[in-house]
Amino acid sequence: MAPVFFFIAAVGAIAGAIGVVALRHPLYSVLSLVFHLLSLAALFLLLRAEFVAAAQVVVYAGAVMVLYVFVVAYVGGAQEPMAPSGGLPVRILSLFVVGALLVELLIATLGSGLSAVGEEGAAYAPGFGSPAEIGQLLLTDFLLAFEVSSFLLLIAAVGAVMLARRRGGVDDGEVEGRISVAQLLSPEGLGSMAESVSGRSGVKDEPEGRS
Amino acid sequence: MTTVYAEVGFYEPVWIQILKALVIFAVGLQIVPIVLLAERKLLGRFQNRYGPNRVGPFGAMQPLADIGKLLWKEEFRPRTSIQFLFVLAPIISIITATATLAAVPFGNVVDIFGEPVGLYGVDLNIGILYVFAFGAIAFYGIVLGGWASGSKYSFLGAMRGAAQLISYEVAGGLAVVGVVMMAGTLSLTEIVEAQAADGLWFVIPQFVGFLVFLTAGFAETNRAPFDLPEADAELVGGYNTEYGGGGFATYFMAEYLNIVVISAITATLFLGGWLLPFGIDPPTWVDPLVVIAKIGALSFFFIWIRATLPRLRYDQLMSFGWKILLPLATINTLVTAILVVVW
Repeated sequence: MAPVFFFIAAVGAIAGAIGVVALRHPLYSVLSLVFHLLSLAALFLLLRAEFVAAAQVVVYAGAVMVLYVFVVAYVGGAQEPMAPSGGLPVRILSLFVVGALLVELLIATLGSGLSAVGEEGAAYAPGFGSPAEIGQLLLTDFLLAFEVSSFLLLIAAVGAVMLARRRGGVDDGEVEGRISVAQLLSPEGLGSMAESVSGRSGVKDEPEGRS
Repeated sequence: MTTVYAEVGFYEPVWIQILKALVIFAVGLQIVPIVLLAERKLLGRFQNRYGPNRVGPFGAMQPLADIGKLLWKEEFRPRTSIQFLFVLAPIISIITATATLAAVPFGNVVDIFGEPVGLYGVDLNIGILYVFAFGAIAFYGIVLGGWASGSKYSFLGAMRGAAQLISYEVAGGLAVVGVVMMAGTLSLTEIVEAQAADGLWFVIPQFVGFLVFLTAGFAETNRAPFDLPEADAELVGGYNTEYGGGGFATYFMAEYLNIVVISAITATLFLGGWLLPFGIDPPTWVDPLVVIAKIGALSFFFIWIRATLPRLRYDQLMSFGWKILLPLATINTLVTAILVVVW
């Protein structure tokens, strides 16, 4: 059963990856990337890495690709499909880069990976790939990498906020229609017209409106 | 090579797994029309009218009539829509909703025909993450449905739905972290067993997490007061505006199945799953009935809220999610982490 699943997932992953670059419509490219990521998750499942598979789906197919879909759907591009851009020099350069990548991957695979491909496959220890084991490894052997990458994410988040602020995206002033916890707990107005216009409690604003 | 199977739970013969899948599928899908009928009847009562009472005794055949009507309708598709995705989108919705049902534990391991059988579809060591993974895929059902319809109402509904789902998924996920830390496991059956060992359902120590998770659950199922994606007053029907007949029925069923699943997951995480209060220990065949009763009670709560609260405005929805719910869930997680370490 496992070889069948492996070939379905592997063919799916490759087809998805080809679709990303071959399809002209941006949204279809994004969707085939999603398909590729889901196929990768299936491959992780075959390797008994359930946690990695779930994280792959939640983080990549879920959160990251959602942003891609958002951008493509909002910015549009539905009317004008992507055209191949750049002249001959760009194409030659891209061929060169692809060739370099292929050589690098071949070196990596032939150099190390093939030694693990035997009759039996790697030994499977109970508990392998479980969240408990991964957590233990992250907080012992790979603590430094774990902490450094969390700092990287923190920097990225702070940077995003700073960029949004500079462009005026994050408003410092009183936001119209902001709601607070207190307002949610005890609604002062009961949905009057004045309340909906001012965004605040209708009762207080009424005298100002009359004057 | 000795085959080592998953260490959570145990390995069952194939025929038991197939049987279990069929039974869970059948039981889960039987709850859906009951919830549907209950919603229409209860909404009627809440609004001081009778609700459906013509088809069958007490209107009990109404869901059958609803589905029959939908299935005999013409399959219409707008000229601007994209056929492949238009057909695929509701299927994604229903598949993800059904797949999540597999993770719901209806009871612990029992003996059936001399074979030990776990009363759940699968008991994974990633447990609750499985549910979130399918929730992440369910997003595409809504977005593709709205986008492929080629209609502006559908598109707006889909975009709202997408923004809402990712916003509330964060808070919902963080709310679960508190439970996971207290139980020390992600497996849903072991979370219930941890509640049995403590003699205390997690709704009491994790009350804030319970509220946040339930609120996020309302948002994830696109139910009132968070039914912005299908706000009928402004968007006609949101992402499913252009769907009729079978496609609409599929979306409709996925929504109600999601209510059932969210109720079941809430019952498992916070309300003790198949446990009864006050240390009552019934025979094991009662366990699934207890879970179904809790699902019913929580589904009733969903309907109650829908009949009570008006729809939020869109900016209120977003600021509520990011500025109130998310900080609350974060503080809950931090406090739980400290308390778990100190005790």
